[in-house]
Amino acid sequence: MSDRLRAFSGQIIAVGVALLLGAIIIILVGESPVHVLMTLLRGAFGDQEKIAGTLLQTTPILICGVAACIGLRGGMFNVGIEGQLFLGGFAAAWVGFTFSLPAGIHTLAALALAVVAGAAWVAIPAFFRARYNTNEVVSTILSNYIAVLLTSYFTIFLFKRPGGWSETPPILATAYLPEIFAFSRLNWGLVIGLLLAVGVALIFRYTSWGYGVTMVGSAPKFAEYGGVDVKRQGFVVLLLSGAVGGLAGGVETLGVHHRFMEGFAPGFGFDGLIAALLANGSPVATIVTALFFGALRSGSLLLEVDTSASREIITVIQALIILSVSAQVLIKRRGDSQAGERRWKF
Amino acid sequence: MEILDKLINVALIAATLRTTAPILLVALGGSFTTKAGIFNIGLEGQMLAGAFFAVIGSIWTGSAFAGVACGVAAALAFALAFAVLVVTFRANEVVVGLALNILAGGTTISLMKAIFGTRGSIVGHGIVGLPKVQIPGAQALLGSWAPLISGFTPIVYIAFIAVPLLVLFYKRTQLGLYIRVVGEKPEAAEALGISITRVRYIASLLCGLLAGLAGAHLSLGYITMFTENMSSGRGFMAVAILIFSNGDPLKVLAGCLLFGFADAFSLRLQTFGFPSYLVLTVPYVVALTALFALSYRARPKVIRETLASMQKLLSVDRNSAPVDKNPQ
Repeated sequence: MSDRLRAFSGQIIAVGVALLLGAIIIILVGESPVHVLMTLLRGAFGDQEKIAGTLLQTTPILICGVAACIGLRGGMFNVGIEGQLFLGGFAAAWVGFTFSLPAGIHTLAALALAVVAGAAWVAIPAFFRARYNTNEVVSTILSNYIAVLLTSYFTIFLFKRPGGWSETPPILATAYLPEIFAFSRLNWGLVIGLLLAVGVALIFRYTSWGYGVTMVGSAPKFAEYGGVDVKRQGFVVLLLSGAVGGLAGGVETLGVHHRFMEGFAPGFGFDGLIAALLANGSPVATIVTALFFGALRSGSLLLEVDTSASREIITVIQALIILSVSAQVLIKRRGDSQAGERRWKF
Repeated sequence: MEILDKLINVALIAATLRTTAPILLVALGGSFTTKAGIFNIGLEGQMLAGAFFAVIGSIWTGSAFAGVACGVAAALAFALAFAVLVVTFRANEVVVGLALNILAGGTTISLMKAIFGTRGSIVGHGIVGLPKVQIPGAQALLGSWAPLISGFTPIVYIAFIAVPLLVLFYKRTQLGLYIRVVGEKPEAAEALGISITRVRYIASLLCGLLAGLAGAHLSLGYITMFTENMSSGRGFMAVAILIFSNGDPLKVLAGCLLFGFADAFSLRLQTFGFPSYLVLTVPYVVALTALFALSYRARPKVIRETLASMQKLLSVDRNSAPVDKNPQ
C-alpha cells in the first residue's frame, strides 16, 4: 500500500513540476499564469453548464483512455486510437442516417458497427504485430493519417449532406444517445465510459484472461512458459483496444454531433492515450486523469476568448506532464530498485 | 503514351528529388539513433520545431541561413530533451517521443498565436527563403536534363551528399563504429570501455541536427511559410523507413526515394482530377505497405552480418580488444 501511495505522490509531484514549466511557457507567450489558471478553472467548473461541458469533453477522452489501457496492459502501444475514433464515428453516423430502426435498437446497431469499424481498422497492424513483430507504434500512427483522410473522402465525396459543407446528413433521432440534463448536450455516453472503465478493470483483476494479458505485458517470457499464446493474445488485445476506440467515435457521433463531419473530434485519441499513461494503465485511475484533461480542454475554450493565449497551451501542459512523469523513474530508482520498477518503464 | 509523358518526365524526377530531401534528411538523422539502439519516434516533433523556428529566425534576421541555424538549434533542443529523458532518466522512448511530438505541436501553435496573433499559418512577414543553387555549366552539359542536378536549394544537396558520407562514417570512423557497437551489443561496448551514455547523446544530437535541417527545408525551401503540423507525418514515415532499412544509409536512400516519388506522383495525380483526399493517402499507404511487406523478412541474417563486420573492424582497430578469434 505504501508503494502505491508513493507512486501516487510521485505522480502528483510530476504534475506539479509540469505545471511549473507550463507557467514559465505561459509567461513566455506573454500571459499571466494566474490569470490563465483562473480562466481555465472558470471555463471548466464555473457553473453547472460548464461542469456538464467538462464532463462532455471527458467522455471521449475516458473511452479512448480505456482503449489505450487495454493495449498498455498487454504491452501494446495502440497509438492509432485517433484513427479508430474517426472510423467508428463515421460508421455510427452511416448507420444513423441510412437505416430507420426502432429507437434504442438503432443506437445499439450504430454503436455495434462503430465497434466493428474500430476493430477492423486496427486488424491489419495487429496481425502484422502478432505474426511478424512489425512495430505497432509506427503502423498505427501512419494508419491515423489514412483514417482521417478516408473519412473526409467518405463525407465530402460520397455522403455529403445536400447543401452542406463537409458533413454527412444528420442521423435519425432514433439513433441518438439520450441527453442526461436538459441544459447540456451531456449524454449517456459518459455512463457508458464509466461502466466500461470499471468493467475492464474488473476483467483485468478477476479473470484469468485478464491476468494473462497483464502477464504478457509485464513479463512476456514468463507468460509464454506459463502457457499463454503470446502472439494470439497480442492480436486480440490490439483488436479489443481498437474496438473500444471505435466505440468512442460512435458515442461522440450519436451523443454530441448527431452527424459526422470533417475533423469532428481532433486529438481525443491522443488525449486518451496520455490519460492512460498518466494513470499508469489503470482504467479506474483513467477516470480521474480523463476528467483532468477534460477540464483542461473545456477550460481552454474560455481561454481562447478571455486571454491572448492559444488553447493549444493546454496540449503543451499535457505533454509536459507526461514528460515529467516519465522522468520520475530516476528519482524512484535511487532508493530501491525493485519497488520503483513499474510495469511500463515510463 | 502522351499521358505517360505528362506523368513521368524530367520535371517529375526533379520534383521527386525535391520531395525526397526533407524525408531523407530526417531519416538519415534517425539512422544515428537507430544504429545507437534508440527507437526515436520524436523525429516528427524535431522536424516541426525546426520548420517553425527556421521561419522565426528568417523573419528576425532577414537571412535564410540564420533561419536555418535557428531551426537546427530548436531541433537540437528537442533532441537534447529526448536524450536527457531517454538516456539519462531511462524513460520509455515511445512515451517520451510521442510527448515531445505533442509538445512541438502545441508550442509552435501557441507561439504562432503569441507572436503573430494568427492561427493556421505564417505567410509573408518578410520570410526569406533559401536561394537556389545554379550549377555552372549544367545547362550546357545536360541540356533539358539540367534540372536534375541544378537549381535546388543547398539543403537538397546536403541531403544527398550526406548519404555517402554516412556510409563512410559508419564504416571508417571510430565514432561510427562506437555507435554501431552501442546499438548492437551494448554489453560489448561497456566491456570495451565505451561510454554508452555519451555515444547515445552524440547520436541523438546528430539526429536533431539533420531533423532540424529537414524542418528548415520544409518551411524555407520551396514554399516559404509555416503551417500548423506542417511536417504531416514525414517524421513517422522516416521511422517506418528506419525500421525496414535498419538505419543503413543506402537502404534509407532507397526507401526515401520511393516516398519522394510517391509524394511527387500523387501531386501529379491530383492535377488529373483524382479526389485529393484519396491522393493524399498515397504516401502513407506506401509507407505502411512497405513496412508490412518488409517486416516478415528474417532479421537474424542482418544482425549476423553486422556482427561479423564489426568483429573484423574491432580487431583491426584495437588489437588488444577481446574479440572472438574462432573462425565461425
